[in-house]
Amino acid sequence: MSIRTFLNDVLAVMANEFRVLRRNRTAIIISLVILPIFFTASLGGASGRAGERFSPAAHLAIAYVDNDLTIASGRLFETLSSSGDFNNLVQGYSEENVIDTLGTGKIYAAIIVPKGFEDNLVKNEQASLVVYVDDSINGLGNQVVSSLQSSLQNFSPNAAARPLLSRGALQVEIIQKGARFSSFNIGLTIILGLVIVFATFYEIAGGMSRESEEGTYARLLVSPISLGAVMFGKTLYDLALNLIRTLMVFGLAFYAYGARPGTDFATVLTISLLIALLTMGFGFLISSIGIGVRAVIIIEFFLVLFLFAFSGFVIDRELLRGISSTISYMLPWAYGIEILKRTILIGQPLLDLTVQLEFIVVSVALFYGVAYVLLKLSRERLVT
Amino acid sequence: MNRFARDTKSITVKELKQLLRDPLSLALTIIFPILLIQIFIVIVTAFSAPSYNIAVVVADLDSSPMSKSFVDRLTSSRLIRVRQFFQTEEQALHAVESGDATGAVIIPKGFGIALLSSQPAFVILQTDNSKTTSSALVQSAVSSSTQGLLEQVSVRLGATPVQLILRPISGRPATGDMFLPGMLGMITILGAFDDIVNAVTRERERGTFPRLVLTPTSILSIYSGKISATVVLNAIRTTLMLAIFELTGLVMRGSVLLVYLTTTLIAAFTMSLGLLVSTRIRSSSTLTILEIAITFPLFQLAGAIQAPELLASGGRAIAQMLPWTYGNDALRRVIYLGVGFDAVAVDLFVLLLSSLILLPIATLLSKRTM
Repeated sequence: MSIRTFLNDVLAVMANEFRVLRRNRTAIIISLVILPIFFTASLGGASGRAGERFSPAAHLAIAYVDNDLTIASGRLFETLSSSGDFNNLVQGYSEENVIDTLGTGKIYAAIIVPKGFEDNLVKNEQASLVVYVDDSINGLGNQVVSSLQSSLQNFSPNAAARPLLSRGALQVEIIQKGARFSSFNIGLTIILGLVIVFATFYEIAGGMSRESEEGTYARLLVSPISLGAVMFGKTLYDLALNLIRTLMVFGLAFYAYGARPGTDFATVLTISLLIALLTMGFGFLISSIGIGVRAVIIIEFFLVLFLFAFSGFVIDRELLRGISSTISYMLPWAYGIEILKRTILIGQPLLDLTVQLEFIVVSVALFYGVAYVLLKLSRERLVT
Repeated sequence: MNRFARDTKSITVKELKQLLRDPLSLALTIIFPILLIQIFIVIVTAFSAPSYNIAVVVADLDSSPMSKSFVDRLTSSRLIRVRQFFQTEEQALHAVESGDATGAVIIPKGFGIALLSSQPAFVILQTDNSKTTSSALVQSAVSSSTQGLLEQVSVRLGATPVQLILRPISGRPATGDMFLPGMLGMITILGAFDDIVNAVTRERERGTFPRLVLTPTSILSIYSGKISATVVLNAIRTTLMLAIFELTGLVMRGSVLLVYLTTTLIAAFTMSLGLLVSTRIRSSSTLTILEIAITFPLFQLAGAIQAPELLASGGRAIAQMLPWTYGNDALRRVIYLGVGFDAVAVDLFVLLLSSLILLPIATLLSKRTM
């Protein structure tokens, strides 16, 4: 077969895929509108715009119970109120009242300054703050403690009136280097990966299974079009869809939420398409088993959950231990997510990440190769 | 009314019989929540492990007894693993930039002298912040090492930092089980979504739905029967989940019956919404994909992982409009705080009202699109 015929066949398969998509309005809406827009918008809704400082507990009513009533405790209140992390500090509660009120939704946490707070500081003894939290609010305790810790770094009990520490404040400042990213930018790398994997797998594996169920795959195989051309045509079609999806996610993130990736769009697109290719290869591999659409959906659901747990979507791979860590280092998607993070967030050049790129390219070749062989071998079964 | 109840019961029995005859669907109904919760237990375990191996490099440019003591504290930290020592700051920073280490600690010259003479001392910490949790853990390890060093020096100089004592009102330790009630909520939602696919769209695809509608049974009875079947299946799923919670050591402070009531109302609302959506989307695979696509953002927006109170203003507004948020809130408060019916009555009312609004609309639309 000449290259020209092969390319003509590829284009024919691709055009056919687009024709099928055009006739299915629901598929267009889900694949190109709901997935990219809904996922990106929900990220923006949850973590605020990129570039804006977002302190999750800042707006919550947090009681400040001052049992010490000294200059130091007053200074602490001022430090906390002006920190930007505690914009709704409420005074006037007693310790007993506030504990009773927690859990009702009126007060979410209480910072108790115990009697003797200033005295302890003056005597250079251990001073304590007690924080009560409504722990039915997931993550609130850690959030309040972390905000308090950073506010305490700026807390100077002696600034206003008299020196409390005669020898000067003893401290080790931690100068933090390394770019800081907004929750939105971090979430964007996850959302982009998730949208690509989610949509691509269904389009390839689900599309092949649907064609098998409807009998059109059998017709395709008995036509003079080669299996390679079918796979290549479907791949090109899905790459085009992924191009649109990446544009949608990034366009929305860039214009609506102010995201500024650390790399150029061409790099983002290249990585997105690499992850898409990886997922397509896996999709072909799964469809070669000859399963139905329902099974494809179930596999897709667990694939996404699996990636959530093991590929760095939610948990950094360094935190996984034992078998979880081994799985993570074998998952090619994990390398794709790592590349997304290192390029979009840190701005590392794509070509510096050779190990990750090699792993993905080898995995793509492996998935496609095995899928091709299996589809060839199971031709009769899939046709009948 | 008697007839409505009788028809509802017949449809419920029919649904359960059909499920029993379909081993794949039956297995999925049972296995799916177990698999889902196992994956989340992996996540939770990773977040609450007693120690980690996060690679950190150190450049001790001071080489004083103080800096050595600081390095000792770093190396004995359970959160990080000091992998390499460098002679220069550049080498250490490069290790982080190239991705070989998550953090680099640089102890500048004069660190020990500054500490001993009560002058402000500093260390430089470079972290790879693209690894969100790992970089936070490195910061925490360095921070507690400096804290430890300060305490050691303070004994000599007599100065101590402020200690923070965290007391959750439930009395529970701050462990990773904070996800579990949210997971129960999400499994309830996903399970009910799967039920709707089984109950309506697949019946439509098999062609049995028109036959069912042509019987004297009213659409409302059909739908309430399908919801009742979901309630039964949901009770089984909830029981399974509660058993897993028990095995993972989660202490349930509230009434188990209230947990069942909450998950039942979450399932009923999800089912009502599913019935409504299924009047427009006829293909079971499309409906399933749509449901899954909706579900993932719900993990974030409906309070399954992070409480809606901690979301940005836009997300909080969306969360408040989602009835599932109220269900997840009720589950957390019942399981963690042990509150009674009174405290979650509003949450349950929102779920019930939403179902009662959606069900007649679904019935009406179903008649129109029949």
